[in-house]
Amino acid sequence: MLSIKNLHASVEGEEILKGINLEIKAGEVHAIMGPNGSGKSTLSQVLAGNETFEVTEGEVTLNGENLLDLETEERAREGIFLAFQYPVEIPGVSNLQFLRTAVNAMRTHRGEPEMNAAEFMKLAREVSKQVDLDPAFLKRGVNEGFSGGEKKRNEILQALLLQPKLAILDETDSGLDIDALQVVSKGVNALRAEDRAILMVTHYQRLLNHIVPDYVHVLAGGKIVKSGGRELALELEERGYGWLGVKDEEATPSAAS
Amino acid sequence: MKPAPTLSNAFLEPGGQSLPTPLLELRKQRGTALVDMPLPTRKTENWKYSSRHLKLTDGLAATLPATGKDGLSLSLPGYRVVFRNGVMIPEASDFPDLDGILIQRFGDLDDADAAALAERLDNTLDSRAVQMARLNSARFEDGLYIRLDKEAVLDQPLFVVHEVTGTASGSAYPRIYVDAARHSQITLVEEYLSSGEEPVMVDSVTEFMLADGANVTSVRLVMEGENVQHIGATGVRQAANSRFESHCVGFGGPLRRHDLMVRLEGEGGECKLNGVVVTQGKQHYDNHTSIEHVAAHCNSEETYRNIAADESHAVFNGRIHIHQDAQKSSANMNNKNLLLSTGAEIDTKPELEIYADDVKCAHGATIGQLDKISLFYLVSRGIGRREANTLLTMAFINELVEQIPVQAVKDAAQLRLNEFFDQTFEEA
Repeated sequence: MLSIKNLHASVEGEEILKGINLEIKAGEVHAIMGPNGSGKSTLSQVLAGNETFEVTEGEVTLNGENLLDLETEERAREGIFLAFQYPVEIPGVSNLQFLRTAVNAMRTHRGEPEMNAAEFMKLAREVSKQVDLDPAFLKRGVNEGFSGGEKKRNEILQALLLQPKLAILDETDSGLDIDALQVVSKGVNALRAEDRAILMVTHYQRLLNHIVPDYVHVLAGGKIVKSGGRELALELEERGYGWLGVKDEEATPSAAS
Repeated sequence: MKPAPTLSNAFLEPGGQSLPTPLLELRKQRGTALVDMPLPTRKTENWKYSSRHLKLTDGLAATLPATGKDGLSLSLPGYRVVFRNGVMIPEASDFPDLDGILIQRFGDLDDADAAALAERLDNTLDSRAVQMARLNSARFEDGLYIRLDKEAVLDQPLFVVHEVTGTASGSAYPRIYVDAARHSQITLVEEYLSSGEEPVMVDSVTEFMLADGANVTSVRLVMEGENVQHIGATGVRQAANSRFESHCVGFGGPLRRHDLMVRLEGEGGECKLNGVVVTQGKQHYDNHTSIEHVAAHCNSEETYRNIAADESHAVFNGRIHIHQDAQKSSANMNNKNLLLSTGAEIDTKPELEIYADDVKCAHGATIGQLDKISLFYLVSRGIGRREANTLLTMAFINELVEQIPVQAVKDAAQLRLNEFFDQTFEEA
């Protein structure tokens, strides 16, 4: 489904990604782990199309189509979804209006009729329950005044509504207490499907207790330095990153990049 | 030093004569005083950004032709009075005959009412500050007098629609006077529209006189086309415990100017002034507001938002004057601005004059651009750039649009704003 070949990207002239190679097939769940500053978030942002990052070399295809040629909104319509590490607060745009506009943009792209306000309200209320988010949050401004956990649940709510082909979850577990982590994990597991891939970017392995990945990759210094199965995450938990010859910055988890 | 320019003779000719004698006399008297009135130039402080957009060619002095064609107004529920080219069109109007409420065009006033009105006209305005309002007083051809008796309540909003048809060049002088007695209540919606291509000047004046405990809500929608210069003034005087609320939504043009002057003259008075301005292309919009706290224990709240795209220019000048005896005044003024392009310009200036020592007075102004991260967030959900820009821009003013008290007007304003932004972001 997603194929990344020798991807290099930089921000303000500084190279962050230095040749990433990754193949993700439909139905698979991949986890990318790594110390702070290794380029995990950059990879997520580059895949989603954040123009702050400049791709200097390499190729990314989604189902054979060149992703890097597409605008951010086109990538989303082709099925890329990024759950933000720091979801953006947009006062003045109601969550409901935002979600409906997004869902209808997707439907229009697929040649389906738009959902009217009443139809959408019904759907949004149902999906809200799935992530344990009070439907009252639909009426608030986008993420406005939401707690950290509420913001993350709102991200998963969007993924469930938009039904992407590839869901990229950027540090979705950060800032969550155990209850919220379970709710979010339940939502992510509900996304798992034969025709959908999930790419989790995470600093800690605790999320992986709830969402069990098929593959685990270690990103360090802008490259994937090790890939393995589920057991690799456990090994990292136990041994840190040092044994991979990677500088372990686990001591400063609050500065997650 | 070169003397300041004055009006050409063409503008000194009064308009149509179908008004009651007291009003004709008032107009004549005001006309005499116009002869040596200096016109605003760029050296006139309160016109420094706008005087170069003010075009007073002789062609604009002409009276606009009478017309009976179908109007442009939105069909909104409520009472309605339609003026076309400055003259009321009875067949397009629909308003009730209610006990205790007089709603009448100037031309139909009996001598007693006309004399009473002639006594009052201009008494809410500082004529030195609003030169162009003086031109209106000398040239209005018709107008609307609304008088609410003690405790009278108009049960639905009254829409006063002012249309100009640009089939020929000329000017119109819309005029409204609202006399609200003790504890009376009214919501007045002024809608300014236009059609046609020929250059037209609209010079409008609306006055509100609020007695003790009166409650007046004013909505002003300025939506004329590119052929229209609009210079408008609104004067408000408030007695004790009265409440005045103003919601202005304005779309730019070659020149849009609005002077809004409120005097809080009795204790316990309150006013809330909200304004939204959007400009694009080479449009120009200039809002000057003035709130005078004359009496003690009054509150004023003012919130204006400007959005300027392309090479357009918006101006906000907010004056708050707290007189020496106006202790315990509370005044809040806030002006936020959004520049949508590097070629756009917004000038904002708070002017605070405080002569009392026990007051609460706050003001704030910001100028910013659309947030790139918010935009990325929206488009990363598949929302198109144009729609995302529109959502974010609407978000900037939604808080104010939401406060418009009449649902139908709110919807209409929202619709027009959405169209405007869609057009603005078309090439984005």
